[in-house]
This record gives sequence, C-alpha cells and structure tokens, in this order.
Amino acid sequence: MRKLLAKAALAAGICFAGLCAAVPAVFAQEATIVFNTNEVGAPTYNPIKASMLNAATGLIYDMLVEQDADLSFHPHLAESWEEAPDGMSWVFHLKKGVTFHNGEPFNAQTIPAWLELFKESDNAYMSEAIDKVEVVDDYTVKFAMKHPDPNLLYNLSSTFMAIPEPKAYKALGDKFGVTEAIGTGPYKLETFNVGSETVLVRNDAYTWGSPLSKNTGPAKIQKLTFREIPEESTAFLELKTGGVDMLLGVPTDFMGELKSEPNIALLTLPGSEVAYMSINVTSAPFTDIKVREAAAFAINQQEILDSIYGGVGSVANTFLISALPESQVDPKYLVKYDPERSKTLLDEAGWKMADDGIRAKDGTPLKVSLWTQSDTSFRRLSEVVQAQLKAVGIDAEITSFDSSSIRDQYKSGKQQLAVRSYEWNNADIVDWFFGGDRLGYPNTSMFNDPKAEELRKKAMSGSANSEQRQANFKTYHEYVLSQFPMAPIYQPTVNVAYNKDRLVLPEHIRGTEVGPATFMDMTVKE
Amino acid sequence: MTAYVVRRLLMLVPVFLAVSVVIFLIIHLIPGDPVDNLIKIGSGPEQRAAIVARYGLDRSLPEQYLIWLAGLVRGDLGTAIVAQRPVSTLIAQALPHSLALGGLSLLVSAGVGIVLGAVAMRYRDGPIDQAIMGGVLLGSTLPTFWLGLLMILLFSVVLGWFPVSGARTWSSLVLPVLTIGLAGTALVVRVTRIAMIEAAQKDFVLLLHAKGLPPSRIRLRHVLRHALTPVVTILALRIGWILGGAVTVEVVFARPGLGTLLIKALNQHDYPVVQACLLMLAMAVMLGTLVGDILQAAIDPRVRANLK
Repeated sequence: MRKLLAKAALAAGICFAGLCAAVPAVFAQEATIVFNTNEVGAPTYNPIKASMLNAATGLIYDMLVEQDADLSFHPHLAESWEEAPDGMSWVFHLKKGVTFHNGEPFNAQTIPAWLELFKESDNAYMSEAIDKVEVVDDYTVKFAMKHPDPNLLYNLSSTFMAIPEPKAYKALGDKFGVTEAIGTGPYKLETFNVGSETVLVRNDAYTWGSPLSKNTGPAKIQKLTFREIPEESTAFLELKTGGVDMLLGVPTDFMGELKSEPNIALLTLPGSEVAYMSINVTSAPFTDIKVREAAAFAINQQEILDSIYGGVGSVANTFLISALPESQVDPKYLVKYDPERSKTLLDEAGWKMADDGIRAKDGTPLKVSLWTQSDTSFRRLSEVVQAQLKAVGIDAEITSFDSSSIRDQYKSGKQQLAVRSYEWNNADIVDWFFGGDRLGYPNTSMFNDPKAEELRKKAMSGSANSEQRQANFKTYHEYVLSQFPMAPIYQPTVNVAYNKDRLVLPEHIRGTEVGPATFMDMTVKE
Repeated sequence: MTAYVVRRLLMLVPVFLAVSVVIFLIIHLIPGDPVDNLIKIGSGPEQRAAIVARYGLDRSLPEQYLIWLAGLVRGDLGTAIVAQRPVSTLIAQALPHSLALGGLSLLVSAGVGIVLGAVAMRYRDGPIDQAIMGGVLLGSTLPTFWLGLLMILLFSVVLGWFPVSGARTWSSLVLPVLTIGLAGTALVVRVTRIAMIEAAQKDFVLLLHAKGLPPSRIRLRHVLRHALTPVVTILALRIGWILGGAVTVEVVFARPGLGTLLIKALNQHDYPVVQACLLMLAMAVMLGTLVGDILQAAIDPRVRANLK
C-alpha cells in the first residue's frame, strides 16, 4: 500500500519534471505544423517508391518545374525548357550552382541517373513517355520521347517526381526516405517518426528557391516540426491552446469555431476536390438518358453550398475543378439546377407523378438506390441529394459502406446513384473515371460509349502539345457531360488555419497548396 | 511448477494457430482491396496486375495463408503492401509506445482500483461506498475516445497542465494513461471489494480479531492480501484488453502505437500490417492469461498443491 503511494508520488514527480522540460524555447525561429488528416501515416519520404507523400516532401526535395495556383508552370531546378513542335523531344536547361544536402552537385548527369531509378517503381508510368535522356552539356538535358506527352510538365511538377540524390539513394536502399532523405530542398530531414512527427532543419546553403516565393535564399524559419494528428478535434484543440502553430487541413465544420478565436487566422484556398453523384448508365431506369438528365438537373448545387457548407467553396457545374481550362465548356453542357427541365424530361420518359409524390411508369414506382460512404460528411450530403431527388419525384434509398469496401461494391456494378468525390487537378481524371476499360471502379457510372472512347483516345495520346491536349480534353469532357453519367455538386476549398500571433504568411499564397513557396516566405513573430 | 509452465506454453500453440486462421480470414474476407490504395490516377491495368502478382494476391487464400504462416514461423511478418516497408520495422516502432501506455495504464487501474476497492469495503453500504461504486461505474461506461476528449478539454485547454497530444515528453503520457486507466478501474474496484468482503468472513479473521489486532491492520495485512488473488487474475486478463482499448485513445491523443498503425492499415486494407497488429493484440491476451495463471500458482499455495 505504502509502496503504491510512493510509486504514485514518483510518477507525479516525473510528470511534473517532464512538464517543465516540455516548455519550448519560444524565441528560436521554429514552427509546428499539423498535416492534413489524409496525409497521416505516410510511411516514407522516398518520392520514387511512395504511394503517398505528405506536405513536407516538397521542402526536402525540389522539382524541375513548379505549378502555380492558376495551374501554370514555372521554372525551378529547370531554368527554362523548349518543346519540339511535334512533341517528340524536350530540352531542359538546368539551374547552376545547385547542390544536394550531402554536398553532391546537381547537374545534367543527375537527370538520367534519377530517371533510371524511376523505372523500377510503381510510379514509372509518369516518366514512361521518355524514351532516352541525352546529356547535352553540364546543364542541359534532352528528352527523346516515345510519343508526345503534353502532360510531361504536370508530371514533372508532382512531388512524386521530386529529385533525390541518386548516389545516396542507391547506397541507402530501403532506408532512403526513412532514416535519411537527401534532396536539394530548402529543408533537411532531421528526424522522421512514422505516424508521429517529422523534424526539418533549414538548409543554409539554399539559394535556388522557385520564382513563386519572394525569398529565394535560405528559408526564414530555422526549424519546422510537422506533426501527424489523425483526430481533427485534437488538432483543433492543439491550435487553440498554442501547442501547434498551423493546421494544413481544417474541416469546413470547424470554421465557425475557429473564426471566433481571436488569435487564429483562416485561409481558404481553391482545392482540387469535386463532389459529384455518379449515375450508372447500365442500370434501369438510368439506361434512359432522359432519366439521367432529369436526375442531374434535380440537384440544387447552390442550396447544397449554402445550407451544408455555409457558402464556403463553390458549386460544381462540370466534372472538373474551375481552375482547369478544360472546365470552361460550352455553357449548354453545364449541369445547373433546373427542376422544371427535370420534371418535363421525366414526363417525356413516361414516368408520371403519382399521388404519393413518387413517379411511376406502368405501375412501377421510380425507386432507386443511392450509395455513399459512411463518413458523416458524405451521409449528410447524400441526405440532401435524396431530398432534392424526392422533390422531382425520384425516391432514392441511401445505403452506406465504409470507404474501402465501397470500392469492392462498385466493382459488382450494382450501384445506381452514388455520391462521391475525387481530388485531382488535371483533366485526365475524366479518362480515369469514365474510361471504358475501368468499369465498376473507378468507372462507377459503367460508362462505355464508343464515341466517348474515340474522343478519349484522342485526348489521352493524340495530342502533340498542350494546346491540342487542352482542346481534345475539352471536347471529350463536353461529350461526357452531354451523356449525363454523373451530376456535379460541389467544389470544397482547402482550409488552412494558423496562429496569427506567431506566424506571418505571405499575402498571396502561390503554388497549388500551402507548400514550399509559402514556407520560404513564412516568418515567426519574435 | 516448471512442468506446469511448459505445459501451458505448449497449449498456446494450437490456440495461436486457430487465432492466426481467424485473423487471416477476417481481413481477407471483408470487402476491399489494398491495391486500390496503391494505384494512382493515370496508371494502367498492367500496373495493377504487376502489383497484385508481386504481393501474391492472385494466389488462392489457403496458399496465401500458408505463405504467411511459413513467414511467421521464421519470424518474418512480411512487407506492408501500401506502406512498402517490412512489417516488423513498423511494429518495432509502434510497440514501445503501446507498451509504455498499456503498462502505465495497468498500474493506474491496479493502484486506483485496489485503493478504492479497499476503501469501499471499509465503508461498506455507506454513502462513501455508494459514491465510489457509482463513480467508477460511470467512468467505465464512458467511451474512452470521448473521455479522452473531455480530459483534454479540462486538463489541457482549461487548466493548461498537460500538452493536448503527441508523444514527445513524459507529460504527454499522463492524459492517455489516465483515460485508459480509469476506464479499467471499475472492474478492479468491484473485484477487490467483493473479495475483501468474502475474506473478512473467514474464520482466521475472527481469530485475529479475538487476538486483539487493530481492525485496520487486519484489513490491510491479512484480508487485502487474501483478496488479491482474484484481483491479480483480473489484472492479468486485462493486459490484452488494455492494449486493445488503447487503439482509439492513441488516435484521439495522436500517439504513435499499435492502435494508430492498425487503424491506418485497416482503412487501406494493408493485409500484412493488419494481420501483424491483430496478432500482437491476440498474443497479448493469450500471454496475459498465461501470466495470470502462473502468478496465481505462485502466490496461492493451494493452486500449487493441486498442480502436483
């Protein structure tokens, strides 16, 4: 008994000592940042092999090319580039004076060595179009292409194509990206505990920042700690109590709560997510294009934006995010709430309104299934969609599955309507979700249309340069929209919250997210 | 005694095999596919087939099971499909955190539980007894993830005593340990109280009273000592449950550990990681039971006598 008490006292003592030790030296230029919950548990910083990379990756490595918020491309490790008119070759002029964290120089020799490593990985398809890399001189490389790939710059700007030091990569083997990660980025990896935290320290030799940030020299903050917090409420409480300085992902639900905190600033950035309702074109009654069109025009995007999301974000009227040029379709293809059109179409298709408010044809009521994921946000959205379909006389019954098993369910092809979302900022997502060779999942609409396949082929591999690709994808996108295999709903924003008593962020956030360009210019208030 | 321990250890082998089959089947039979988490937008069907073949997912289930089991026997837990690292490294990183959390929580439930149980027995049927029994019952019926959030609100946000989350300092262990510890206290309190009440009615206690020993000394030195046998058993059984119960608490407090690893792997259907985590938890239950039995044999001469 007495021993127990002594133990308890000892434990309390240890805890108190720990508490004192935990008070950080607040005056050093350091900041603690929490990853978005969907980046929790990324197991490695190896860009070549990873299937998932978090926001710190872009600080350890640099890419050849950077993409801005408006999705335009800007030089980084590649100072400039030229594309042959037929798209069969690209020349990249590399920045001089760049070194890796281990002192190795970055030059033209690095590029073939790096792309060679890429060939063995699951991500190899990104560089698959490159046939050969020719070293022209110390700072110039030429890619000879197997076929034109207008998407090359997009791939090169992805963190999966961030450039690791090839020699260290080979020497470290499986440990690369876990115990050590050698890149050319503004920060060096100090420690990495999977699922817990990543500590980065400033690379003082860094003078080659991208033009997206004002500061191209060494970053201003000396030490960045990235924490992984899977529970959003916990992350919110950490920010509120000053335990962390910034959250890279805040659910829209928390925005009201955060706005009432005096020391917290909120940033809403256009995201790359689109929520939509897929419509299975092979399942009656949706085999009739009129019924599909009616269901699509029954969705009131504005009402959903205002009532569920409090006006944060924007409505979606096409399948692509508004930042993509391919989303600027001919207005006649836009899917915008029109209940009268919906009702007329259903009448034309033979579905007549019955007394109970559900339409019927030859005695069969218009009853369909509506699938969704069991997460609260999806369920809530689905319930509103259900009510909106009911308003035009379609009775949809909601069934929910967990996020992993729903994919297997889609593969059965038994779905009718499904509320879902994707995150991607390239037009090739249309191919991914509506390509005839991916029926079930990802093509949950089971859409396999000969004309669409033709347009798809042209968009995916028939373009020599980016203008042609854009035009081809726009045509493909327009055709898909005209067949109503889905109804677009909503484009959420990416919400970032930070402690404005501690951090100063640049006025304009450049880049596709709060990433390297922002961290280069960010300072800590003394 | 040694023969007994060896016999008990051997008996674990068939149990282990049965458990491994169940774990393997559960994760493979629920719908979902790890490969869906690996392929990225833009990759082709050949890519998918290559990945499926690389991890042997195209073989039949019995074949996959035997390959996994053969690896287990050699101490090889396989390579995580989505995480792309040896499962043993992932487990080795997570396990110390889970053991620290679980071990300290067990100490808390044991300490608090035995003290409260003894106090409740002393004031049996009075208001103090009722308050203690009611209080611990409430504590154990609250879901741990919610209790955890309430603890954060009180001790971190309002009082500011401990960090909200993480695993950087010892102080960050306090709240999760209390959360899990308190949730498990109720059972210990109840068992201690009942066992003490029963022991207090034994003849030898009457004799001690007759000899004129002070009642407090009889309670602590003699009655409590006797009553501890069932408490030890209960605590040993709880070893496994505490590791299992830590799963949600680890997520709430953003601590690395088996729980966070398991939840992440479950969402991605990363078969080898889920199997290894569940196996660890099942082993904890099995070994806990074993330790309980051995401890009982060690402290109770009557049990030892029966073994011979």
